[in-house]
Amino acid sequence: MSTRAYRFLQVFILAGLCLFLLLKLLSGKLSLYINTRFLPLTVFGIVLLGIMALTLLRYRMAGDNHEDQVHHDHRTASLSGLMILALPLVIGILIPSRPLDAAAAATRGMNVSAPLVGASSTSHQFEAAADTRNILDWIRIFNSATDLSPYLGQAARVTGFVYHDPRLPANQFIVSRFVITCCAADASAIGMIVTWDNGNALKESTWVEVKGPVQASQLGGQPIPLIKAVLVQPVEQPDQPYLFP
Amino acid sequence: MDVALSRRGLSRWLVSAILLGLVLVILYTSLPVSSWTWLWGRLSTFATIFLGIFIEAVPFLLMGTLLSGLVDVFVSEDWLARLSPRRALPAALVGASLGLIFPICECGTVPLTRRLFRKGLPLPAGIAFLLAAPVLNPIVIFSTAAAFGWGRMLLWRLGLSLIIAVTVGLVFSVEKEPINILRSSAFEVELPMLEARQAEKSIPEKLRRALVISTDEFFEMGRYLVLGASLAGLLQTFVSQTSLLAIGNGPLLSVIVMLALAVLLSICSTVDAFIALSFAGTFSFGSVLSFLVFGPMVDIKSILMFMQVFRRRTVFYLVLLPFLLSLLAGLAFNYLSI
Repeated sequence: MSTRAYRFLQVFILAGLCLFLLLKLLSGKLSLYINTRFLPLTVFGIVLLGIMALTLLRYRMAGDNHEDQVHHDHRTASLSGLMILALPLVIGILIPSRPLDAAAAATRGMNVSAPLVGASSTSHQFEAAADTRNILDWIRIFNSATDLSPYLGQAARVTGFVYHDPRLPANQFIVSRFVITCCAADASAIGMIVTWDNGNALKESTWVEVKGPVQASQLGGQPIPLIKAVLVQPVEQPDQPYLFP
Repeated sequence: MDVALSRRGLSRWLVSAILLGLVLVILYTSLPVSSWTWLWGRLSTFATIFLGIFIEAVPFLLMGTLLSGLVDVFVSEDWLARLSPRRALPAALVGASLGLIFPICECGTVPLTRRLFRKGLPLPAGIAFLLAAPVLNPIVIFSTAAAFGWGRMLLWRLGLSLIIAVTVGLVFSVEKEPINILRSSAFEVELPMLEARQAEKSIPEKLRRALVISTDEFFEMGRYLVLGASLAGLLQTFVSQTSLLAIGNGPLLSVIVMLALAVLLSICSTVDAFIALSFAGTFSFGSVLSFLVFGPMVDIKSILMFMQVFRRRTVFYLVLLPFLLSLLAGLAFNYLSI
């Protein structure tokens, strides 16, 4: 491949990656892939990719190709080598972005013990009103509180997707969320058991809001909060399907 | 010649695309609908994990290649040669601590290490830098402390990474010339470059030059990030983690499982402490520690990047030695129950 064509393809892929990330950022879809606290890093990446594409374009236009043979022998200057970097673009465009669902939870397993507390966790979830706590808050309380009794019987109101764990009886399911520390590769599913007579009729992966008093239960030998549901209603998938600790 | 090459390349791509299309059509008509929805769901899980790793790692890779480009243009060989110690042990120690100045993770160390070798950094220093920099740097120290607190996990992680990196660096000091461990292409491509730099240029010219170099390196190393992210994504989509964790009992097996996980998950060293934390409940201190020490040195994407830069034999030792030393360390903690 000629140097010109090689450089042109490079500009094309750099600009493509830059635009792809920018669009994901602007549409808010980036949080389907990474924890939002890493967004500044992605912005840095977008800017640098843009600068690289522009520099290379001007470099190519300026025509000082006489010294542009660097890094450019026949081994590295192959079409397939370049095209591999277009793969994220192809996958990102062809496969619509969808958050991880119950099938992924089944592969990864329900992380009941969820030691995601980290040193950074504050005690705000202990003081927050019971019906504003999300699933992660409840799991943290169950993992770290020395005395659970003040929390038992409190009315919870949480949103999550339905996951039918094979270890549970027919009238129970798990209302689950994925917790993402860094990117989707480290997602772990956490959840609370819900007792609900029509639970079996709920389709896997549908999003529901669950209300009811909290009790203590066990799953696979680990303590896990249980909601004795008084209301289970289908809701839209939230804009932010993951929880970020 | 150029045209013929690109034509052959293009036609090969076309043929493989058509073949892939045919296979898909045959599969589509022969498989029941339910398996398609299953496959589609899995595919979207794969895409999410793959893009997650890629999007997360790209800024770090860019940072590494940018630093490498800047080092190439602004750091002179004389300066580096004057500053770096000649004797093996001091060189390895200095190399291992270089990460404190270049805060990058494992995606960035490989291109930067190669660049420093070309600039004449002694071998033990380069190897120690390659292995230690992903842990011994401010960002990773901070993230490990955020996950585990300023306690013994952090101290042992830093200490063991330093010891292992320096040890492997010393082992490599039996070779005198970096050229003996690097793939030959890593050197000869650069030759025209040296002449080009002789004609000194203005600062903006130099910056532009650095950007073009880092772009080339981004494409060279980025492939392995893409391949590594695909492998990790496939594994995470189709292999159940619970089954892996189920075998991970006992002082020996737990360490081996955590070492395998470190390689397979290929998580960036800046955040792997949080992942390790989620295993800390089920796994022993020694096995989690070995995960934290070994993962930043060796994982799927770094092995692929090593192969691009180093000779096969070097890659073999770069994987084997840290593996054995991390295994040893994990076992020591488990059996002595420190």
